[in-house]
Amino acid sequence: MGVLFSYFKSLIGAREMRILILGLDGAGKTTILYRLQVGEVVTTIPTIGFNVEQVTYKNLKFQVWDLGGQTSIRPYWRCYYSNTDAIIYVVDSADKERMGISKDELFHMLREEELQDAILVVLANKQDIPGCMSLKEVHQALGLEALKNRTFQIFKTSATKGEGLDMAMEWLANALKNRK
Amino acid sequence: MYSLLHGFYQYMVQKDEFCVLILGLDNAGKTTYLEAAKTKLTKNYQGINPGKITTTVGLNIGRIDVGGVQLNFWDLGGQSELQSLWDKYYEESHAVIYIVDSWDRERVDESKEIFDRMIANDNLQGVPLLVLANKQDLPECMGVREVKPIFNKNAHLVGKRDCMVMPVSALTGDGVDEGIKWLVDCIKRNAFARPPRNSEDP
Repeated sequence: MGVLFSYFKSLIGAREMRILILGLDGAGKTTILYRLQVGEVVTTIPTIGFNVEQVTYKNLKFQVWDLGGQTSIRPYWRCYYSNTDAIIYVVDSADKERMGISKDELFHMLREEELQDAILVVLANKQDIPGCMSLKEVHQALGLEALKNRTFQIFKTSATKGEGLDMAMEWLANALKNRK
Repeated sequence: MYSLLHGFYQYMVQKDEFCVLILGLDNAGKTTYLEAAKTKLTKNYQGINPGKITTTVGLNIGRIDVGGVQLNFWDLGGQSELQSLWDKYYEESHAVIYIVDSWDRERVDESKEIFDRMIANDNLQGVPLLVLANKQDLPECMGVREVKPIFNKNAHLVGKRDCMVMPVSALTGDGVDEGIKWLVDCIKRNAFARPPRNSEDP
């Protein structure tokens, strides 16, 4: 009886998860969004404003927001923070020069009250480019060891080749399901 | 007046917070262990299905209230390139749980080597160490009798720290309680040397 009840409860309670994809301009956020949604590489132009799509992964529904990453529009990210379940932070692993800016933006964002409970996934994207930074280098460059109160995970991805995204989504889906 | 009473109430119900690092080689079972501990010691918590746990590259956290204190677990990735990130957490941790894959005889020496390097770090002075011989559910794994001598070899490195080797199966949850109970007692005893994380807060 109890099992039956909790089964129905889980049907009703299947709320759409709200996920933000953030990162500097040119990191590959829009490519990742459409990789997740249609499984293909689409030609993108710099996003001014946002793209929002519904993505279903393993019976979990996600509402995924991809916000533009240019300097001038980064201040508007905060308008989208409320009720966010997870953040996918995309980094261009080949862009060593701007790693510091990326770090600052990340920490600036994570200080926000509204994001205290959000799960963080960092995607070290563009791993297909030769000479790009390894996972450990990205980890260190972003200063992720300073995050001590938040579950996070970092993945190597190549959005154009479609590598690593499945693993990241799999982990995120599990993490969201098990969140208290 | 309200804030005074509220503050007093907060002070009375506040639990001491301690941080526990979960370390070990990759595939030792650190994340599975954390999930087992959360499942056993948290009401109404259903852990992640162990089959779905993937390699950690990052941090998993867990909060458990046990024995009148709050434990914050930090479960870090164990791959060799990530091991250099461990020491960033040493200074703030109050205990270390080191997980050994007792089934993998080939890597036990490597595991011991990494363990020695870890405890040689000055920032882990006086921190209680719990070594868990994991995967006791597998046949032909090394029992605690085999693992213990290996990890007791360099007793001078351990020094005056509390150090214990215990058997555990993160998959079935056997031995999880006992280990954490032991650790909590050690942490409390050591609280003078390593005060709780929230002790500096007003």
